[in-house]
Amino acid sequence: MKQLKKTAVIIILLLAFQANAQEKKYAFSVKGDMGIWYEGYGLDKNPSPAVPDFYSARKPWNLVRYSFNPTFSIGKWEIPMNFNFSPMITNFITPAGTKQNVWQFLTNPANNFGLRPKIGTTEFLLGTQTLKYSDLSTGDLGVFGYGVNLSPGKFRIKLFKGVSQSPVNYEAPTLPNPAGVIGAYQRNQWMAQIGLEKEGSYFTGFNFVKSIDKRNSVTTPPLSPIDPQENMVVTFLTTANSENGWKYHIELGQSFHTLNLNTPLSSVPVEDFKPFINAHISSSKDNAVLLGLAKKGQDWEIGTKFKYFGAGYFTAGYPFMNNDLIDYLIDARFNAWKKKVNVVASIGERFGNLSLTSGPDKTRQIIANVNVFTQFSDKLSLNMSFNNFGYDAPDLSGYKSVSNELSINHSYSWSSTKMSHLISATYTKSTYDETIVFVTTHNNTQTALLLYVPTFFEKKISPDFSLMWFKNTAPAIDLSLFTASSGLKWKVNQKFNLKGQVQYNLTTMKPFTANKNLLATAGYEWEIYKKLSWQFSLTANVFKFGTELPGNSLIPIYSGNPQYFETTMRTGLRYKF
Amino acid sequence: MKKYNLITALGFFLIVQMAQSQITVNLALNSRPQPWLSQWGNPINGQMIITYMKGPVQGEAQVKLRTTLSDESGSIVGASNINASRIYTLREGVNLFTMADALQLQNLVLSGKVQNTLQRTGRLAAGQYQLKVEVVNVSGEAVFARQTHPFFITSYQLPKLMVPADGAQLDALVAQSLITFRWTGLVPNTSELPTYRVQVFEILPGQTPMQAFRGNFPILDEPALRGTTQYIWRTSLPMLDDTANQKFIWTVQTLDMEGHPVPSNDMNNQGRSEPAVFTIINQMGAGNKDKMNED
Repeated sequence: MKQLKKTAVIIILLLAFQANAQEKKYAFSVKGDMGIWYEGYGLDKNPSPAVPDFYSARKPWNLVRYSFNPTFSIGKWEIPMNFNFSPMITNFITPAGTKQNVWQFLTNPANNFGLRPKIGTTEFLLGTQTLKYSDLSTGDLGVFGYGVNLSPGKFRIKLFKGVSQSPVNYEAPTLPNPAGVIGAYQRNQWMAQIGLEKEGSYFTGFNFVKSIDKRNSVTTPPLSPIDPQENMVVTFLTTANSENGWKYHIELGQSFHTLNLNTPLSSVPVEDFKPFINAHISSSKDNAVLLGLAKKGQDWEIGTKFKYFGAGYFTAGYPFMNNDLIDYLIDARFNAWKKKVNVVASIGERFGNLSLTSGPDKTRQIIANVNVFTQFSDKLSLNMSFNNFGYDAPDLSGYKSVSNELSINHSYSWSSTKMSHLISATYTKSTYDETIVFVTTHNNTQTALLLYVPTFFEKKISPDFSLMWFKNTAPAIDLSLFTASSGLKWKVNQKFNLKGQVQYNLTTMKPFTANKNLLATAGYEWEIYKKLSWQFSLTANVFKFGTELPGNSLIPIYSGNPQYFETTMRTGLRYKF
Repeated sequence: MKKYNLITALGFFLIVQMAQSQITVNLALNSRPQPWLSQWGNPINGQMIITYMKGPVQGEAQVKLRTTLSDESGSIVGASNINASRIYTLREGVNLFTMADALQLQNLVLSGKVQNTLQRTGRLAAGQYQLKVEVVNVSGEAVFARQTHPFFITSYQLPKLMVPADGAQLDALVAQSLITFRWTGLVPNTSELPTYRVQVFEILPGQTPMQAFRGNFPILDEPALRGTTQYIWRTSLPMLDDTANQKFIWTVQTLDMEGHPVPSNDMNNQGRSEPAVFTIINQMGAGNKDKMNED
């Protein structure tokens, strides 16, 4: 309630601001949106408490998020803002203590506080920015800091300095937090791009990304093997588009990586990269290459990509990136039969463990996909897709997996003066064979889906009905699932839409009796007035176990079938200005 | 003259006896040490114990270490430069050293291919090796003690996510009941099967995928059956409404038998594979109808 009041005050202030702005129409304007979003989660289990805990909460009990995304125009200045944050701590992948100070709040990866004031060809970057320079340097990581983008003529100069990881002290496992906190060093990151660009035609330039873990950023440092690291990447990037439809992409990169800054300085095994990196005994240096070539025609497109990432290539701009691989991919798309047939296909192969640091042999992976869509007539269409992937790691014990999936979908629609009908049927068969230590297991799944959607031209309700059957067979697994689902949308008036959905699942794992699950959702979208909208939805999920989880297997012994009841309430207010 | 010869011979014999019997070396090296050679200073890799028993006529012992690394065929792939080796003054009794001291990485001259792999990765190619450490006098001419210890080195490649692939679009009518996840196994295979935890995060409105991945609480964090590389998530989530459960990012966390994350380049990642994003679409028409209504 307190949060809603705060939001109302902000909206009123903004309205006043905007009214004032309209008087000086050309001097100041603001566009964008702002909102508040809340999710409440509830879970009741029966029996509770029970050992083992047969179902865990899958969301925080309460979660509030605020967003504030206006673009202010003041004379020649344009100031877009992107604030999206939560006062709560929900971190899981990245460590976070039980409390956070202001700096940790600002640099928490869950939050975004970004401003990009721009005048002419100069753009200032303040706060959280997710800057994509290239595929080998940096791209998907939010960094909190400051920088500038300059684009005089054909020159492009980008500079940014910030923090990509909050400092978090190590906390030993204790009650009430038995997992403890693994902790993290503050990671400072510098980024730069210098190049030449003609928009839509070419770009050529260098990217630089350097990161360093600040050792004194924590009073209780994380325990080894979480050691302070240093990384520097330099890449050369060129992209070009020709007038006759050719596209070229070349990127060459080299990374310098120090695994542990606590190890001694040493020019062995790699030498310093002055003035950026002083090499340690744990430093390494490796390369990466990306090449791409594509040609686009009127009804077709074909392209190929080649990728090489050395085993020691590492960039803090993509901390989860796979390396030690070579892969190539060819993809194509074309239309045929008077544009009634659309084909999209790709085939690729990847070799891993090139350095042989993970075994005596290279790994091999094949991925092939093809999708054919045919519109036979206004009423009938057919979509077929086939996916294959194979993975082979011929080490001493031999690991191999092959997956094939075929999916066929028919859609048929017809209409009268009052309504139209759509019937869609899909069947998917997937086989997955896996060989571990020379023993092959066959894991097959089948899915059948039937959908019926009537549309009433003169009524405000839109229902839909679907049935789904799924079966999975594997050694010691015989799982089947049946789902019946129906949805309804009711446009009460121009400003108010009601939505609802009911879904019933029967899941049977042989030889046990079925688990039963009922899911019901209802909600609305209400345009309270022209610029303010309110969304609300409430979901209830009741799950009752069959003999798969007998009550007498729990402690304390429960005489009936265990069950849980889950509720999720989501609501959001959004104001456009 | 005969008397002097006898005394000289006896003295030489005693010195040799003292030198050989008073210094012993014991390499307590983990048979599977960390693959990053620079990390051998960590106690987990073991330690080297040099025992020095002072003789009646001997002073403090100043020694150097000579390290030799050979591969499984017995060929020498690396040797320390004795001239640049550090001089240690042994205390009487037990002297403890880390395995980094025994390895002398800064002072190790490696053969071409091994050197190249070390420069690029900080590691050795997977395989069986032997570490030989000799305790020698300062000039390197007399060997007081030596020990050889075999070890096996390997590093792991984390699983690659296969299904849903990065950028995949899943049908809401199926996905609201179940989603099948598949990934490749840990390479190389381990004798003790690893545990794979499937972790899925909803990308909330206004969030980038990586922001959700690094900042949100997972909507799914469950282990697959030990050693298997498939997990069927019975979602029970409403997905036809375009305001919730529309975009997800997922990964697999690989844990060893003791529940520790399998090491990778950046230990901050805690054994998590490169994540993949998938979106939920109403390709059967329900979603299109939404758009029609909006229009």
